[in-house]
Amino acid sequence: MNEVMAVWAAWLRPSAGLPTLQWSVLLAVAAAAGHLLQRHTGLPKVVGYSFAGTFAGLAGFSGGAWPLQGIALFLLELGVSVVLFEAGGRLALRWFRHNPMVLLQSLLGSLLTGLCVFYALRYLGVRATVAESLAVISMAASPAVLSRVVVDTRASGPVTERAMTLSTLSALYALTLVNARTGVLTRQGGDVGDKLFPVLVVLGVSFVVGAVLALLLRMALRVMSPTSENTSMLLVALIAAGTAVASHFGGSAPLAALIGGLLLKQMNPRPWAWPRQLGTVSSLLTMLMFVLVAVVAATAPWNPAVAGLVAALVLARGAGTIVGVWLANWRSGTSWRQAIWTGCAMSPMSSVALLMVSQFATASAGLGAEVAGIALPAILLMGVLGAIAATFALHRARETSRSDEAEGADLAGEPLRGKGS
Amino acid sequence: MPVATPGEAPALGPFGESAPLSLGVELELQLVNTHDYDLAPYSDEMLRLMSRFRLPGSVVPEMTSSMIEVSTGICRSAVQVHDELSAIRDALVKCADRLNIAVVGGGTHPFQQWHEQRIYDKPRFRELSELYGYLSKQFTIFGQHVHVGCPDADSALLMLHRMSRYIPHFIALSASSPYVQGQDTQFDSARLNSVFAFPMSGRAPFTLRWCEFEKFFNKTTRTGVVKSMKDFYWDIRPKPEYGTIEIRVFDTPLTIDRAAALAGLVQSLAAWFLQEQPFMPEEDDYMVYTYNRFQACRFGLDAVYVDPVSGQHMPLREHIGLTLRQVMPHARRVGAAYGVQMLWEDAEHGTNDARWLREKQGRERLLAEVVRQGALRFREAR
Repeated sequence: MNEVMAVWAAWLRPSAGLPTLQWSVLLAVAAAAGHLLQRHTGLPKVVGYSFAGTFAGLAGFSGGAWPLQGIALFLLELGVSVVLFEAGGRLALRWFRHNPMVLLQSLLGSLLTGLCVFYALRYLGVRATVAESLAVISMAASPAVLSRVVVDTRASGPVTERAMTLSTLSALYALTLVNARTGVLTRQGGDVGDKLFPVLVVLGVSFVVGAVLALLLRMALRVMSPTSENTSMLLVALIAAGTAVASHFGGSAPLAALIGGLLLKQMNPRPWAWPRQLGTVSSLLTMLMFVLVAVVAATAPWNPAVAGLVAALVLARGAGTIVGVWLANWRSGTSWRQAIWTGCAMSPMSSVALLMVSQFATASAGLGAEVAGIALPAILLMGVLGAIAATFALHRARETSRSDEAEGADLAGEPLRGKGS
Repeated sequence: MPVATPGEAPALGPFGESAPLSLGVELELQLVNTHDYDLAPYSDEMLRLMSRFRLPGSVVPEMTSSMIEVSTGICRSAVQVHDELSAIRDALVKCADRLNIAVVGGGTHPFQQWHEQRIYDKPRFRELSELYGYLSKQFTIFGQHVHVGCPDADSALLMLHRMSRYIPHFIALSASSPYVQGQDTQFDSARLNSVFAFPMSGRAPFTLRWCEFEKFFNKTTRTGVVKSMKDFYWDIRPKPEYGTIEIRVFDTPLTIDRAAALAGLVQSLAAWFLQEQPFMPEEDDYMVYTYNRFQACRFGLDAVYVDPVSGQHMPLREHIGLTLRQVMPHARRVGAAYGVQMLWEDAEHGTNDARWLREKQGRERLLAEVVRQGALRFREAR
């Protein structure tokens, strides 16, 4: 593929440079793949995006050099931040007051996921620090993939809502722990205070940036309608600014965005209408994010030993999440069956996990490489399989438009049809 | 709707016994999410959680899975209706809070898309969906039904046709469905336009003798068009198994207070009819019925009312005032005075729930916010 690109580079000199052309063509292919896959198989478009990115990555596409840096890292952070801001805005803290079991479901689900992954990897001989890092990364489900699946399948209902909430909370826990962990990694030696300082900086900066973001949007919403296109543009622009500032001052952009969304929801209980307004630009941004994740993840080297570890991680992660959510389901308002589908819907692992792997790679080259060696293939696998599992789970929970259409199709064969007296 | 095999005509059954002027109220309610306040398919979860409460009446599913229907037990007075509905409302709010959703009144959800609704998984609803197609999803509308006990079958028919003269009053006082699919329909009650699409809707046939009504029912069921009284979507229909007539034109109000007040109005009118026998209904009453009904749906309390006997045109608000003055002594007697007085004041000021919704939308410019405030209003205790 690199030879082909070299020929292109010599033959064509586009004004914006060859990488722009490469990315534009790849995104066009991904858009077509997403559309065709959904049309012909009913799978969500995000699976098509990931396929396109995977093929490009496996073919040696050079647009996603690992570890991520520069504009690629910023675009990924921006995409994740937009998704997490909206996901944070769906977290109503009052719900946990009325139904603390949901909070317990999230805590138990994340905890068991981490423990299962840690012990599974340790059992297979993975070094403790690597297993620990992978366990924390594995806690995070992907609100980004799940929200795209929900949009594509037009899903709504208790399983959909709860899976989104638990995924967002799991991302919150994982981002916090990873930031703390990588903060400690950068300060080897010294006393406890020295080690805690970077952790407090990263969490503090993220919180302050999130709070400022929420306050600015709260002020904007006093004079602007949430349905206005300009409000959506203001939102994206402010998140982009927050992403740049958070990273610059040593905070975590996704964590800041998630906290910003969460705080805004508490300050402004009015309905959130802007996700519908964000429209094509936001969709393009998220598509870019999924393609980038797949391209980067596909560059990871595969061998039988890695395949075994990846399989163990994926299975342990799935089991931990489902069992954790199921165990705390008692008196939480959903049935036991729905709890299982909620756990299944949380299987996707994508951009948030990739960002966390990237953080490890930046914090420690040695540990980062070991973590990435297992995490990137797992992310690649669960970006696609996770989206399919989530679609299946929402469908079986009868919360997608497809399940309703299927009912209609079943009915069409019944003898009542056409007997309208 | 049921497709009966011709020749197997089901029987109407005897008219049951009920205490005259006893009341029963059913309310169809909206379940909405607390994110963008669109309808949310949570009826199964609500039914499961509500089954843990010891409550009067019942809670049952409705046509689509974002709806729920609650009903009181048999009540003696509007005060009892209010008490029972309050207890049910409090339980509903608790269950909704646990599920992170909200319960709202109103005759329509202002911006839901009918094609996104899901038919509740129950054989009757599936049959209805199969027969009526998209109409069944468009039936995601929310009404209040009031049953009033009648001394006997013939009295029930007499009361039904007397009550028909007050259908415009009921519509205007309860109207709470100005918005459909995100648009102001210019109607105060757009909900009833959806009901009109059904072939068995409208008014009951004019007959004052139960034996004649039985003949009508037998003829209709022999054709296989209907199977039971449930298949008639009339504005008022007899309910033989309960020994009542059921008034079905009310939009679900935004508050329990108004729901109880409307039930009290029905009871007061019924008491007036039974006590004073004020007039005899005639077939000709129905000449202006559809026009009056349309006026009330379209203009609410600003409608014009055509007197079916004299043909005189007058503001509906004025006729409501005249009517309420006549029934007030009976309202006091049956314990419905508080609610009737409230409705009277609302009629004089031209304030119904449709106006409240329009005022909120005028201020907020966001229908989702109107729904959120509607949900807060539903929670409020008197």
